[in-house]
Amino acid sequence: MSGRVTTTLLPPSATPAWAPGICAGLHASGIRHVVYVPDNPLSHLLDGLARAYPDVRQTLATREEEAVGIAAGLYLGGVRPAILMQSSGLGNCANALASLLLAYQVPVVFVMSMRGDPGEWNWAQVPLGRAIRPMLDALGVPHVTVDRPEDAESIVRATCDTAFSVRFPAACLLPRRLTAPPVMTKVRHDAK
Amino acid sequence: MTRSEATSRLVGRLRDHAVVASLGHPAYDLFAAGDRPEHFYTWGSMGLASSIALGVSLAQPSRRVIALDGDGSLLMNLGALATIGSLRPPNLLVVVWDNEVYGTTGGQPTATASGVDLAAVARAMGLDACVVTTLAAFDDALDRVEQAPHTMVLVAKVVESIPAAKPPLDCVAIKQRFMAALGTPEAGTRADPR
Repeated sequence: MSGRVTTTLLPPSATPAWAPGICAGLHASGIRHVVYVPDNPLSHLLDGLARAYPDVRQTLATREEEAVGIAAGLYLGGVRPAILMQSSGLGNCANALASLLLAYQVPVVFVMSMRGDPGEWNWAQVPLGRAIRPMLDALGVPHVTVDRPEDAESIVRATCDTAFSVRFPAACLLPRRLTAPPVMTKVRHDAK
Repeated sequence: MTRSEATSRLVGRLRDHAVVASLGHPAYDLFAAGDRPEHFYTWGSMGLASSIALGVSLAQPSRRVIALDGDGSLLMNLGALATIGSLRPPNLLVVVWDNEVYGTTGGQPTATASGVDLAAVARAMGLDACVVTTLAAFDDALDRVEQAPHTMVLVAKVVESIPAAKPPLDCVAIKQRFMAALGTPEAGTRADPR
């Protein structure tokens, strides 16, 4: 079955309203290094951090599991880390999260842009998207969902502060209803 | 050259180096060769020893950091070499104990037993890499990186050996001791009772 992707770009906006607060919350809690696996919404955070907080280093990882290792090493060396990734990456790093971050109680904060939640257009992203919160719950990893831009800074900061104080990982989930870019994408399967 | 002999040779040369060991036999041999607080023994997260060491090396650029990986574990996370190759922290040394088997899990052959060349992979990632098969050559390679610090991947072809001891299973204690030894004691713990 072939399909044709039609994309309508709305006028490009500057930094979306939800991004500066998340950057500010990460920085205020002492995070000075983010390890990331690329994602569209998260690019606003990487840009925002680079502009407003140049003391936060950024390192690209090839895979989320690798990002967990790098972030753990950063923490062991005295630098507070965060990992920025799509929620689908949780499936790629579950064992590293469990057997390194949980077993050694290494506080790494995950900022996950959600795939497969309401607003998703791609069915392939949905099964794991539905499993993200149950997976985090099963592992005992506390998570918060950032629903409104005006809450972003305080909720992210509180989540990070607690993670570093109790020495345990945590996750901030960014749902698509928060981050969805102003793009309408339709895949028409009736098209030749 | 057995892995245990080479590990002992390496430990005998360490000063303030931080060492991150892959789970199983590399970690067991490191502990058996001489426990130090600057040793981070992993008990899980197979494949991540080099990535953890990369993180430590970025956090502490003035400290030399050594990863003790295995051929099987590095093959589980070859992307780590791409990241290390793109960053090339001069204080990072990745030692790969290449015994051509999954030694901790029953001795099944790895891809290196069929000719896969991890040093060539590392070179293709932009890294200095060499293969050694004797203790003398292992020593020479360590001398070389000591005299001119740069990121190196040192593939040591070793004979599998049975480790003589295992480190304690207390993961949190391993972490807290390691962090204290690196001069960044974990906030709020016994090592740093603020």
